[in-house]
Amino acid sequence: MKYSYFMGCQVPARVNYCDLAVRRVTKALGIELIDLQDAGCCGCLLRSVNSKVTLALSTRIMALADKNGLDLVVLCNSCFATLREVGNFLEENPKLLMEVNELLETEGLKYKGKVEVKDILQIFYDDYGVEKIRSELTKSFKDLKVAVQYGCHLLRPSRITKFDNPEVPHILDELVEATGAKSIYWPLKLWCCGSTTLPTDDKLGMSLARNKLMDAKEAGADCIVTTCPSCQISFDLLQPRIEKIYNEQYNLPILYYPQLLGLAMDMSPEEVGLNLNRIEAETILKFLK
Amino acid sequence: MQKEAPKIFKVDPKFKHELLKITGAEKIMLCFQCGTCTADCPVALRVNEFRPRQIVEDARLGLKETLFSGDTLWLCTGCYTCYERCPQDVKVTDMIAALRTLAVKEGYIHPSFRMLIDSMAKNGYIYEITDFENELRADMGLPAAPKVNLDEVSKIMKKTGLNKLTGITMEEG
Repeated sequence: MKYSYFMGCQVPARVNYCDLAVRRVTKALGIELIDLQDAGCCGCLLRSVNSKVTLALSTRIMALADKNGLDLVVLCNSCFATLREVGNFLEENPKLLMEVNELLETEGLKYKGKVEVKDILQIFYDDYGVEKIRSELTKSFKDLKVAVQYGCHLLRPSRITKFDNPEVPHILDELVEATGAKSIYWPLKLWCCGSTTLPTDDKLGMSLARNKLMDAKEAGADCIVTTCPSCQISFDLLQPRIEKIYNEQYNLPILYYPQLLGLAMDMSPEEVGLNLNRIEAETILKFLK
Repeated sequence: MQKEAPKIFKVDPKFKHELLKITGAEKIMLCFQCGTCTADCPVALRVNEFRPRQIVEDARLGLKETLFSGDTLWLCTGCYTCYERCPQDVKVTDMIAALRTLAVKEGYIHPSFRMLIDSMAKNGYIYEITDFENELRADMGLPAAPKVNLDEVSKIMKKTGLNKLTGITMEEG
């Protein structure tokens, strides 16, 4: 199993431990990731001010992957939805594809429309398979209650992402439960973490994240497990600031899914970067048997 | 007693034609104002001024000033909950994005977006990957984050007109 790999900008800018956990876990499972050299921004946030730039930047990334001749794995939900949307759009508009390719020509790049964009969870769930993952685990979480956080852009818009049932998703729940942990019901599970509003209005962004932190805590979660770097940043990196603003205490560990998986594969906390999480996450180790 | 004449507010029937041309906003006339979008919007629950249903209505009436002045349009998180659940398939999220595009054409852009565009020109990414992060990556045994071909980014920005929105002076090519 071999893929082109693009981690986006949020992971290297803020949460490198996500990348560490992904590389460790995939390597141990025999999944090969080839870094897309020279890949830049997908342009997701600029789509609403200038959709052409997003189209060009995203096509450029897919053209780089096309050159490798491999499917493209991404970590970021926003990259995922944006690249998928651009891919669909170009398929329906061959004239635009020609125009964008003209723009990329000076770099010697050409998007032929053959790249399948996949989220890292699809590699675990569809390509590798839950049963096979379970057979690789030497440890198991017992009585660990997890609030599962999909993030918006894996699920919505479902006609573009085609990832899971947008109202009753199960993929990440199943992957979490494969480690022995229990995915609990929490009322705000499908809600936005607020991260995209942080640059525009950080108080609004943090109030949305606070809603979810409180909700998970109230539902009895021992931790939140995310799969989106934006959600990971909102809940983990911003948790101390949110606690300060609202004068509340959550102490809620936030794990990126590959970290949880790595621990169940008997990797050390350092190997999956658990020591680098902003909110102390070692507390969940007591559930690991 | 003298009866007060009903106040008729000014609308602009032309505006929606501009909007309808933008990808994603094609179905605004199908909206039957059920309010599902507002009811399920996480921002609407925190900010009174943010009402997706009202935004659709204001857009159809062409109340440009109401739509473009203030930060309202820029508060959408882009979570696509309204888009997913709209019974009329109006693609509300995309319509709000289309309205931002028109606002930008008229010279309204939220300062935070200008910052993101500046960062794109400087770093090739919306979020800057600093030397500090790359040192951290080296300590963790991770390869450096991919270096972006800034010439290419600058070319794309010029060709798509994004360079006009940055505060950074870019060489005219």
